[in-house]
Amino acid sequence: MSPSEATADAAVAVRPSAGRHTLALFISELRLVFGRARTQVGLGVLAAVPLLIGIAIKITGSEGGTDGFIGQIAGNGLFLIVASLGLSLPFFLPTAVTVISGESLAGEASLGTLRSLLTAPAGRSRLLAAKMVALAVFCLAATMTIWISGLIVGFILFPVGDVLLLSGSTVSLGNGLLRAFGIAIVISLSLLGLAGIGLFISSLTSTPLAAMAATFGTFVVLGILTAIPQLHAIHPWLLIYRWQSFADLLRDPPYWHEIVRNLLLQAGYLAVFYTAAWARITSRDIT
Amino acid sequence: MSAPVVTRGLTKRFHGGQVAVDAVDLEVPAGSVYGFLGPNGSGKTTTIRMLLGLIAPTSGEVELLGEPMPKAHLRVLPRVGALVEGPAFYPFWSGQANLLRFDAADRTADPKTRKARAGEALERVGLSNAANKKVRAYSLGMRQRLAIAVALMQRRELLVLDEPTNGLDPQGTREVRHLIRELAGDGTTVFTSTHLLAEVEQVCTHAAVMSRGKLLRQSTVADLRSELRPRLIVRTPDLGAAAETLQGMGVTELKTSEETVEGDPGELPIEKFAAALVAADVRIHGFGLERPSLEDAFVALTGEGFDVAE
Amino acid sequence: MGVAQRSRRWLVPVATVAVVAGVGALGPVVADASPKLPTITAQDLLAKVQTAKVDGLSGTVHSSTDLGLPAIPGMDGADGMQGASQVLALINGDHTARVAFASPDKAKVSILDAQAERLWTSDGTSAWAYDSSKREATKLTLPAHSKAKPEKTLPQSYDPQAVAKQILTAIDPTTKVQVSGTEKVAGRDAYKLRLVPKTDKSTVGSVTLAIDSKTWVPLDVTVMPRTGNDPAVELGFTSVSFDVPSASSFTFTPPKGVKVTDEKVPSKAERPHSIPQRPGNPSLIKPTKPGTANAGKPTVIGTGWDSVAMIRGAQTGGLTGGPLGQLLAKAPSVQGSWGTGKIVTSKMISALITDDGRVFVGLVTPDTLQAAAAKAPR
Ligand SMILES: Nc1ncnc2c1ncn2[C@@H]1O[C@H](COP(=O)(O)OP(=O)(O)OP(=O)(O)O)[C@@H](O)[C@H]1O
Ligand SMILES: [Mg+2]
Repeated sequence: MSPSEATADAAVAVRPSAGRHTLALFISELRLVFGRARTQVGLGVLAAVPLLIGIAIKITGSEGGTDGFIGQIAGNGLFLIVASLGLSLPFFLPTAVTVISGESLAGEASLGTLRSLLTAPAGRSRLLAAKMVALAVFCLAATMTIWISGLIVGFILFPVGDVLLLSGSTVSLGNGLLRAFGIAIVISLSLLGLAGIGLFISSLTSTPLAAMAATFGTFVVLGILTAIPQLHAIHPWLLIYRWQSFADLLRDPPYWHEIVRNLLLQAGYLAVFYTAAWARITSRDIT
Repeated sequence: MSAPVVTRGLTKRFHGGQVAVDAVDLEVPAGSVYGFLGPNGSGKTTTIRMLLGLIAPTSGEVELLGEPMPKAHLRVLPRVGALVEGPAFYPFWSGQANLLRFDAADRTADPKTRKARAGEALERVGLSNAANKKVRAYSLGMRQRLAIAVALMQRRELLVLDEPTNGLDPQGTREVRHLIRELAGDGTTVFTSTHLLAEVEQVCTHAAVMSRGKLLRQSTVADLRSELRPRLIVRTPDLGAAAETLQGMGVTELKTSEETVEGDPGELPIEKFAAALVAADVRIHGFGLERPSLEDAFVALTGEGFDVAE
Repeated sequence: MGVAQRSRRWLVPVATVAVVAGVGALGPVVADASPKLPTITAQDLLAKVQTAKVDGLSGTVHSSTDLGLPAIPGMDGADGMQGASQVLALINGDHTARVAFASPDKAKVSILDAQAERLWTSDGTSAWAYDSSKREATKLTLPAHSKAKPEKTLPQSYDPQAVAKQILTAIDPTTKVQVSGTEKVAGRDAYKLRLVPKTDKSTVGSVTLAIDSKTWVPLDVTVMPRTGNDPAVELGFTSVSFDVPSASSFTFTPPKGVKVTDEKVPSKAERPHSIPQRPGNPSLIKPTKPGTANAGKPTVIGTGWDSVAMIRGAQTGGLTGGPLGQLLAKAPSVQGSWGTGKIVTSKMISALITDDGRVFVGLVTPDTLQAAAAKAPR
């Protein structure tokens, strides 16, 4: 049938660069995640963490006294970054990751946009990859928000200078900032396991709220299991068991063993739940 | 070139055992405007979902533009514009932003021309003025137009539209019909599901009728119509006499209502009946042949029941 | 694509679980597979160990201790029990430490706590203790004659060599000694030396040492209780290097903003009590418990595996309240020729607290403890 053949040729002609724009979906995905007011509010809350801690310490003027990183803030504003990251890790950051990851696929399914994306065609595996990349970028953005906010507030409110490490030695401010940056990176990587769980749960349902609740529930259960001493045999397998290892970057020299174990564990969780999400999304009936 | 849409024994059985689509063999000729008809719940949307690879058939095959689906979906779907079961958008984004996102999902779409193409598509569906308005603030008809715009973002060889005029005002409906004709004129094959028989009569070259998951008929609209035998209708106060006369002349399927007698006239020329009635002293208030509408054909095929098929 | 084909996709995550679990669970086992080494008799191995001499080493030591002690919340608050609670905290649970040693008198131990670090270092002339959570440093000035014996002034608890030597001195006719195979420790090939007490009065089932096949330094110590399959104590290197660490790694400069206290070490080479000693290690066989300020020096009753330590002057009277007091209240009362008291037992350790303020502790059965108490001087 000749008209159609002509159309086919024309269609090829209007798409001279077929197959070259794989990145567009990923960029669009980032726009979707970071363009939403919900995400921006979440990041704003995270940015407020260092501010609140900083103001509280400034007002109470607690000099030394307190143990840990908080006690060091008054002496060196740089520790505001570390303390804020450390304090956000148990609750704020996981909550943010839960919301964004729970939303990711279930949100599209509930809006019905999933079918439009798939007929575009985005490709199911590629869409999943774009979702995961956006989640990873969000994890990084979340910790970097705290890092930057902590940096600004810490430098404004407190004196800054050479950084006292856990091992009792002192390094330059630049070195300290680099280590704090490393901590932000390690923490954002630590969140990837949870992001993977959220992505998988999100692929199961068309109700974003249910996905968020289930992801957060899973996180809480993992936290409880980690807190039960009798279960120490399974502890090394639990998602958050080595989350606190980020502080090992503040030793002299940095102690990598636990950090590497943590990252391997996160990679394991991510691999399992990402492939599960893949199996689900590629075999799911999209209605 | 083979037909743009071909299905063989296409069947979908949902969890719970319901057979929504039952061994459907479709063949949509290239360049046609193919009306896909059927009562609510007859399996139209389910069929369309399988055509586009959104759901997996329980059995049977789909070929789209000569390639197997869903295996070749990445190659095929960029050449297919689709609108499935109502408009779905990100309500917190403008219409234009929505178009850009769906276009970005297609890796064969050129990002350089994306904005321009979105503008054109919005223009074609009459949404230029609302391009930057959040979809949340769109009316149903505006969303439906936007959904059509998504399908029009690129030149397509095939459009698969599920109830494209649903929710549109009369102008919108007319414009969409016009659009479909125009696209068909350019050589695009259009596969459109609908309930509106008028729509089929006005724009479709082919039609298929679904009922309870089964394909009842598939042919050109002309054939479908020509199969409908014209009916002879006589308006008269002398119902009994008229019926008797007509019966005597071999008219079948006689029906008598308050003021009319009607029936299938068979092969006889119409003027013979007039003469015979006059001769029988039947007072004639009105007389003529009436061609049944597709609607009658549709109801004849799918039955009168109002309840949705289960 | 059929439904069956689609469900086959789930094999991918299932396989991923298997791989992840397999690598996680079996990876270390594969890495620790028994290396092939020439056979050696226990006696030869012991001799090599006795003569083992390294000029320096550094590495990471992990200790994991489960003495079956009851958890005592709020222990830290108990006045006068600071020392004991510190020791308990060090004994029980998992700890990691970095150790470095350079012949003859430089040593450093840093215990890597969660987001904190405690370190002790000596460069031969001065010694420092630093606690990062309190940001306090203590300078210990060493008396001249103690220089030659640095191991007396520094905690050796994280030095498997010192630990093993102590154990080896405990080897006498009471112990069965055998070479029980080989293993890989901290990436090095090692022989396993197994010590089994012949007495049944001890709660110790066996002690296994992993001894490096090149330097003959003990790399790992595992203590198994008489009952149960989980080690009571496991202490060993997770990584080790026998390069001599540079002298600068033992110096400590108190950082700005850190409180520094000076402390003179008594010339009798007594251990400064700010240094917690031998946490969770088999040297408890000959317990030399750190005394709190008002407790007497321990007396050891008996020899070998069933020896018992007696500490006088424990403030048991002041312990009526508080969690420890509650623990004691629940403990069964016992009496004998030695008087009356309470007995607290666990998988590994038994303690007898008499009403007249003596505490008997040992890695022995409660009966043995009472027998020892009867023999003890008042
Ligand atoms: N996800 C599903 N699970 C179970 N049954 C379904 C599902 N989707 C559709 N069905 C059933 O399949 C049948 C066909 O539905 P379908 O949506 O294809 O009808 P339709 O022809 O598009 O109807 P309408 O004209 O109302 O749009 C219906 O009986 C419906 O209940
Ligand atoms: Mg439908």
